[in-house]
Amino acid sequence: MGVRRRSEQCVTLYNPSKAYNGYTIIWVEMSKDAWLIDMRGYIVHRWRMPGSPGLHGRLLRDGNLVSSVLVKTKRELGLSGQFSGLGGLLVEVDWEGNTLWEHKAPYQEHDFYRMDNGNTLYISWDPEGHVPPDIAAKIKGGMPGTDHKGVMWGDVVREVNPAGEEVWKWLAYEHLDPEIDILCPLSNRGLYPCINSVFGMPDGDVLISMRHTDTVGIIDKATGDVKWRWGPGEIGHQHDASLLDNGNVLLFDNGCQRRGYGPTYSRVVEVNPATGKIEWEYKSNPPTDFYTATMGGCERLPNGNTLITESMKGRVFEVTPEGEMVWEYVVPFYHWFEFPHQYHGEWINALFRAHRYAPDYAGLQGRDLDPKKFDWVNRVYGPDAFRKEVV
Amino acid sequence: MSYARTNLKGVMFYDSVKAYNGVTLFTPMEGRDVWLINMMGKLVNHWRTPYQPGCDATLLPNGNLLYAGKVAGGPLSGLEGAGGVLLELDWDGNMVWEYKDPYLHHTFDRTQNGTTLILKWVKVPDNIAGRVKGGDPGTEIDGVMWGDTIQEIATDGKLVWEWIAHEHLEPNLHLRCPVCPRSTWIHANAVSEMPDGNILVSFAKSDVIAIIEKRTGDIKWQWGPGELAHQHCPTVLDNGNILVFDNGMHPSGFAWGFSRVIEVNPKTNEIVWEYGGGGEECLDFYSSTLASCQRLPNGNTLICEGTTGRVFEVTPASELVWEFANNLPLYEPPPNQTRSHMVCSAYRYGMDYSGLKRAVPISIERQSAPGTLSETEEQAVRARLGALGY
Repeated sequence: MGVRRRSEQCVTLYNPSKAYNGYTIIWVEMSKDAWLIDMRGYIVHRWRMPGSPGLHGRLLRDGNLVSSVLVKTKRELGLSGQFSGLGGLLVEVDWEGNTLWEHKAPYQEHDFYRMDNGNTLYISWDPEGHVPPDIAAKIKGGMPGTDHKGVMWGDVVREVNPAGEEVWKWLAYEHLDPEIDILCPLSNRGLYPCINSVFGMPDGDVLISMRHTDTVGIIDKATGDVKWRWGPGEIGHQHDASLLDNGNVLLFDNGCQRRGYGPTYSRVVEVNPATGKIEWEYKSNPPTDFYTATMGGCERLPNGNTLITESMKGRVFEVTPEGEMVWEYVVPFYHWFEFPHQYHGEWINALFRAHRYAPDYAGLQGRDLDPKKFDWVNRVYGPDAFRKEVV
Repeated sequence: MSYARTNLKGVMFYDSVKAYNGVTLFTPMEGRDVWLINMMGKLVNHWRTPYQPGCDATLLPNGNLLYAGKVAGGPLSGLEGAGGVLLELDWDGNMVWEYKDPYLHHTFDRTQNGTTLILKWVKVPDNIAGRVKGGDPGTEIDGVMWGDTIQEIATDGKLVWEWIAHEHLEPNLHLRCPVCPRSTWIHANAVSEMPDGNILVSFAKSDVIAIIEKRTGDIKWQWGPGELAHQHCPTVLDNGNILVFDNGMHPSGFAWGFSRVIEVNPKTNEIVWEYGGGGEECLDFYSSTLASCQRLPNGNTLICEGTTGRVFEVTPASELVWEFANNLPLYEPPPNQTRSHMVCSAYRYGMDYSGLKRAVPISIERQSAPGTLSETEEQAVRARLGALGY
């Protein structure tokens, strides 16, 4: 049994004077339950979802939970292990878990973004995004002969309105440049470029993270051009790029396949798009204590702290701008996950991204957040079960 | 491994029936010490050296410690595995032998006839370096690519045998990894003498483990590309198989972050045993650099997950029977210094090992729960380190 299971679990650290008070959504891979916990680690609400996450959910201001869920597995869709992050159904549920809206998209994957106007951006591996052979031949990098059944699949970013109609579409291969958007040399050539986050910017443009080209980019909504890129040589297989109020881009640098030869570690980076300079970063001390090869989340909170999800380790923590940890939660429950490349399974407590909401957030007004309703699960997975003074 | 707020330290798990009874030698990267503990985590001996690790220590059959240290400010001190000095210390820490060379790195092996096998960096001639494909272009050190030589030296430092890699290896078949720097070529990180006198080596950047025929310098066997990813510590087992720690760093394809320890049959090139690598507990086992593995006489395997400082023992069925975490600090480092839990290597010695003859009697206390260093022991260690001026 590994050390991970003997780490302290639930909330292991909480500094109330420095942490951003609120509630955190914890939704574990392969689980159909999305939980809401308070700062002490008590479960205060549960959404029973139509499926396991594909890959996370967000609480809207109107109190609904918008998410994507897994419908068919990779194997059922004939996809190989290099395709990671499958969803298949965008769904919006109310506080009680009733489905209010859904949008079927069998190849939807990784991420989505609900815009202020009610439309939803999402990423998918739709076959219309397959990279035409003549363009695929020009794309550099990756390991030869590792296409998916002879085809290089491509990402598609789509925007749909509440009626489910497509109002915008962006096929990656039409706008990326084979001379610039080069695959990591160790990557498979079955998927290009592996977009794993999509964020709708206030000015209408779209911020994306492209895993296998180690690049975050901004798409000009009107033209489809990639008007800004950053990353190669600096980051490794990053996730979760978001735009901050100050105009900087926050992203989770996994550090996977990062160039160089030394101990691997993850970090959260804030980069100024105008200068290309890193203006803030968080690394653990020692850096190797914080590493997740894949997935990963980072969310800037209103008080300046950053909520970080070390996905594969089931760990969510909050740090101040000075890098001081002021809250930490280790997911105490596990679900069975099959690693497709070897068809081995393991019990995991991994989660894609956690999100924090203040008590005065519009979406939580009038809600019953008394943990007593969940005594039956808090008894096993709440802080009392782990009996540690964390405050 | 996640280091959540935790009181994990020392021995965390011990199955006294299934684990191989003995003492464990381990070398933390932080500091200049080597520690010998019993199965309960109690201190048996401790050596304080003048050098940080560079990067291995073993307990010799004569009871002395052989230690590879890092000389500060060496010509290649920025490289992973840089060393510069070999020290042999007796049980009480007195120096009985020393060998220095600024280009020493990683590890060593004391042979059956008392000589020592060592690794040194040597410049790869430009015409050969130019034919080396792979690696991250332009990352040589001031234009130089460093290769390796394996040397066997006598106690008086005289060279007995040498094998210079670039005289024997095809340049374009090594350094396959496209994201590794071209500062070093093959990046040898292990050398050991086999019972038949041949030499077993590990070339980390080419993902190759190989057997060199001592007499001719020919490579009798090599294996690894496509299977290994920047491996460490191959050893030959009694059955002739090779045990090796496959770090899984820079793997091709989708990288989950797994390490594994595998046993491969050199006659058939088949993997006949494996721990980790996508099986049970796979998310819990990953060491990007640094590692060691050792097959124990009872069939168990001792594994050092170097970058997390975790040493553990598993049965052939992958059942955990002993686990130790170097999440101590044994001392307080200066503030604002980057901490490290890393452990270079760990080796178990049975209670009947000849090297323990001089040891004080070791009592194996069967307490109700595995213990860490006790308060008094820890105070004694701190006092001892304090007296040494740390």
